[in-house]
Amino acid sequence: MKKHTLIAGHIALLALATLSLQAADQKTTYAARSGSKMRIEGTSNVHDWQVEGSIIGGFMEVGPGFPAEPGQTAVPGKIEAKAEAFISARSLRSIEKDGRPYSDAMDGIMYEKLKASEDPATKKVPYPRIEYRLSELVLKESPKAKEGPYVFDTKGDLMVAGVSKTISMVVNVTPMADKKVKISGTTTIKMTDFKIDPPAPKIALGLIKTGDDVKLIFEWMLAPRKAPAAASN
Amino acid sequence: MNENDAFGFNRRDFLKGGSAATMMTMLGGVELFAQTTTNEAPTGLTKVAPVKMKVAVIGLGVWGREIVNTLARVPQADVAAICDTYPAALKRIATAAPGAVQTEDYKTILDNKDIKAVVIATPTGGHKEIVLAALKAGKHLYCEAPLANGIEEAREIALAAKGAKLSVFQAGLQMRSDPQRRFLLPFIRSGALGKMTEARAQWHKKTSWRSNSPNPEREKALNWRLNKATSLGLIGEIGIHQMDQEGWFINALPTAVTGFGSIMLWNDGRDVPDTVQVILEFPGGVRMIYDATLANSFDGEYEMLYGSDAAVMMRESKAWMFKEVDSPLLGWEVYASKVQFYKETGIALVANASKAVPGNAPGGQPAQLDPFSNTPLSHALENFLRNAQDLNAATDDYKASYGADDVDGLVEHLAKIPRRAAASYLEGFQSVVTAVKANEAVTSGKRVELNPEWYELK
Repeated sequence: MKKHTLIAGHIALLALATLSLQAADQKTTYAARSGSKMRIEGTSNVHDWQVEGSIIGGFMEVGPGFPAEPGQTAVPGKIEAKAEAFISARSLRSIEKDGRPYSDAMDGIMYEKLKASEDPATKKVPYPRIEYRLSELVLKESPKAKEGPYVFDTKGDLMVAGVSKTISMVVNVTPMADKKVKISGTTTIKMTDFKIDPPAPKIALGLIKTGDDVKLIFEWMLAPRKAPAAASN
Repeated sequence: MNENDAFGFNRRDFLKGGSAATMMTMLGGVELFAQTTTNEAPTGLTKVAPVKMKVAVIGLGVWGREIVNTLARVPQADVAAICDTYPAALKRIATAAPGAVQTEDYKTILDNKDIKAVVIATPTGGHKEIVLAALKAGKHLYCEAPLANGIEEAREIALAAKGAKLSVFQAGLQMRSDPQRRFLLPFIRSGALGKMTEARAQWHKKTSWRSNSPNPEREKALNWRLNKATSLGLIGEIGIHQMDQEGWFINALPTAVTGFGSIMLWNDGRDVPDTVQVILEFPGGVRMIYDATLANSFDGEYEMLYGSDAAVMMRESKAWMFKEVDSPLLGWEVYASKVQFYKETGIALVANASKAVPGNAPGGQPAQLDPFSNTPLSHALENFLRNAQDLNAATDDYKASYGADDVDGLVEHLAKIPRRAAASYLEGFQSVVTAVKANEAVTSGKRVELNPEWYELK
């Protein structure tokens, strides 16, 4: 009767409210997807050089407020987020300006400096990967156009050749079609910050001295991780 | 021409008397090797040895043994297994591959998950069965040329290779991996020879090709090359490499082939000619004259391309250019090292020659210019293993980053990995078409027209 319906209605409302609260707490996990790119640009006394790789692995877990769809309203401020990214050092290759492979010898030196080559003494590879761990994600601005990127400030730990350093960088987050997300950014680091001596190989032409500053330009593609099939379904 | 007159000298005389001048070779303008091979990577740049890959060799006849010996010098190779149906062959090569498992059954190699790369050097007729099984087992494959004795068998092999998108398949046309020839390719294609007029190649060796064995069954098997049922003869086993190479430089598939063959010396019951002559026709009136014999060794093996401005000779890993008196100066040949052939003066064409040590012997020998001191086979095997390693690494990285389910994505990713120079299944297939038809011409003494459709891999 009327009293029952009222109580039932209140319960239903309460249930609904709880549900929406849970939804608000919901985290989304993204897994790395193909289509990423890491480009490293450097200098030397002979000529500029560039290295590229196309695989960035890892995952990202974000709390509510993270822009998952284009045009989504987002409030500037801290966003709950956890992310780990990694690049296999040997997937990085030196290239000419037009993209053709450049030099095996240079690649070999690079892997050695990154400590991604087998150590003849231990027969192990000390640090096969370059890794990054996010510690803070803060939304700065929403996009001006619907397809534009959301601009975030980030803080995280970058590990290269076994040495970790906290770096801050601005990244652009662009939600894409079918729930994919592209995270792109640029940052400059110094080799010596990671205890890497800029390579100075001696070749027929003389001594090449590599510049300490390198620029990292990346694009990381992610897509929501498919939830494992629930038992009851 | 004008330049010559202005300077008032006769170029030919200058070239002949050029030995007194500094013999520093400069091929600086044509930079084709920004990427150095391991063979010539300056030592001391890295302290790290190249990563080795476990490879097996199946088939240990004369060429199989050559392959094992070559792999022993390839830094990336770890010969983990050798296989032959004949135990004596295994014993014979064992010292060159210490630590390699010896087996008479190739299936044990295919079952071994640690061995990722396999080289197949069995008699030609035995390739197909092993290739198909090895591709199914996910191995990277180097299959000796000719892929097969028949076009349809070669097609089966090539299509299987095409479908195995996660594996490397390399046909044993080793000259396609030779850095010296790759260096020449743009040089020739850019018209340095003027108008290409004809090509010539030869392979001369005085040898019987016959092996002996106390066991008659074994003797028959060993001498598969001398039996027309199991062999395409000189043109198919030897000529295939040279015909493929010339076609590569001419940049066209042949349109017709005429051939002759006789047994001139080795009248020992074989039914395969020991002396063959073949004329391979290419578009535009360019023809390749080829002769191969087991009856005479004069001048060995070489390939030539003739043009209105110059001729190029390729011999092993070296090449020389012979310019016509009235051809335009390219500029650098004045400084280049020269070698006398018969009455002709050849200008050495050497890649990365600026790294070589100049020699100054007056009127004497030119400098030892030999930056590529390894054989084409060595380069081919090295490229095979490095391609296999690159593909394995890319596959591992992809799976570690994106999971093992996305096979299409993986295939797409692997297609973008740059490959080191190597003959693929397509060149392997097309070279068999030419070899089979050339052998048809040789055995019938007739001209065979080559239908372009036969070269399509469908």
